[in-house]
Amino acid sequence: MKRKSNKLIVSLILIMVVSCNEPETVVTNYVHPDGSVTRKIEMKSIEGDINKRFKTSDLQVPFDSTWKVKDSCEISKKGDTTWVRRAEKEFNNIDEINLAYKSDSGANKAYSRHTGFIKRFKWFNSEYRFSERIEKILAFGYPVKDFLNNEELLYFYSPENLKQEKENGPDSLKYKALSDSVKTKTDKWTIKNFISEWTGAFSKLTEGKAVQEITRESLKAREYELAQIIAENDKKFDSLWANGVILKKFIGETNALRYKSEADSAMKLVENSVFADFKNYSVRIVMPGKLIGTNGFIDSSQILLWPVNSDYFLTEPYEMWAESKISNGWAWIVSGLFLAFVLTGVIIRIIKKG
Amino acid sequence: MKEESEKYNKVLNILRKSKPELYSTEDIEREVIKRIERVPQSGLHLSETIDFLFGWVYIGWVRRSLITASIVLVLIFVYQQGVILKRIDVISRQTIVVDKENVKTPADEIEKLLMVYKNSERRFPSKTITISEKQMKELLESVNELQVKYKDLENLIEADPELKKIIEKKLEESNRTKIKL
Repeated sequence: MKRKSNKLIVSLILIMVVSCNEPETVVTNYVHPDGSVTRKIEMKSIEGDINKRFKTSDLQVPFDSTWKVKDSCEISKKGDTTWVRRAEKEFNNIDEINLAYKSDSGANKAYSRHTGFIKRFKWFNSEYRFSERIEKILAFGYPVKDFLNNEELLYFYSPENLKQEKENGPDSLKYKALSDSVKTKTDKWTIKNFISEWTGAFSKLTEGKAVQEITRESLKAREYELAQIIAENDKKFDSLWANGVILKKFIGETNALRYKSEADSAMKLVENSVFADFKNYSVRIVMPGKLIGTNGFIDSSQILLWPVNSDYFLTEPYEMWAESKISNGWAWIVSGLFLAFVLTGVIIRIIKKG
Repeated sequence: MKEESEKYNKVLNILRKSKPELYSTEDIEREVIKRIERVPQSGLHLSETIDFLFGWVYIGWVRRSLITASIVLVLIFVYQQGVILKRIDVISRQTIVVDKENVKTPADEIEKLLMVYKNSERRFPSKTITISEKQMKELLESVNELQVKYKDLENLIEADPELKKIIEKKLEESNRTKIKL
């Protein structure tokens, strides 16, 4: 409890320090049977300055002047003002959404995101599949499922409000333990990814000119060794790295001196990738007909929900998908008539034969 | 030959002379007309319609093909509906998020955010309050220290059931007061 409030204080400080102007954003895709999509964005901001409130460059998803916009403001009982912008746009097909993602100038423009829509005719039913996919950031990372079990994975991908609800609910101790376990394991996962990505980037930069002991394969085989060196020097990592001490320990003095600049460049690349500057948001999908499959969460209004967080697509693509079906009434009638026709024919034959 | 021809003519004469007796010529006329009228309608007769529609039942390969098609259709229907019902059942057991609220920044990401800030000065250049690395380190250390203390406190509470009860009671009271407010 106390830790929560401490973290809350720190997060508030961070909000001030980092000056995150991005609003809380929820994107809702209303998918239609013809493949068109009505996309709605709800953005909430506490920013008082009207010019800074919903700046396109701060927004998590593509947005421009072609959207129908409705602004409002909500005042809480305490008197806090929240500015809400609701925007809506009709996309004739997913290609238009993908084009918007390509030309995005928002906060997450650096990330490759695209949507997909498939319609399958299956005689009695027509099935629809809609997906939003974010490509992975790291080229050499490890999948998170190698580190977490099924229960931990479910917790890892859960929306934050669901996690909080569980941690404050009747099984609070169980979920706090689960949360701690997930945190410990994901920390380990982050370090492993960091090392793997660094060895990958470093071997790429030194490709062709490096000696055999610093090839990709040999460095990969020694990742555990580097992890140990980092763990031993955790608190002084920055200064030890800057002085080249860690590098010397890992690849030897001669190689460390020769490839210091490549090692630093690789480190910078990895820092930018692993600690991705991604602005979180949520995606919701409303499918046509009856929902038959999804990898998302279902909210109280039966709408599918996914939190979008950079950890989810660090080492593997993150696909949010939903499948639904609509019964083809005419196909049911045609099939019924056909069956009745064949059955009658068979009965007539039996009678005449008898 | 002559004798045979004479016999034949005699028989023919006898038959010609002994004509059948017609008791009701009108009835016969009516029956004849009726039968004549029926001739063009014979195509619409039920039994013939049935024969026309279901003539295929007498052709072996057509009959077998249509029966196979019907069975396949039924199997496809049963399979499709079975798969759909199974998938709907899985969905009904899937987690439901009670609240529709947005995803908030997880508390565990705080350290990561600090790292982001630390590692990328260029990301937040203009509108930020700049703090020194020393201050940043102090902040991180104090957060870590608080976490350790919190963990100790949690262990202490867990070890003492009475203390746990008292704290839970206090928390409950505190929550109630908040609701009243």
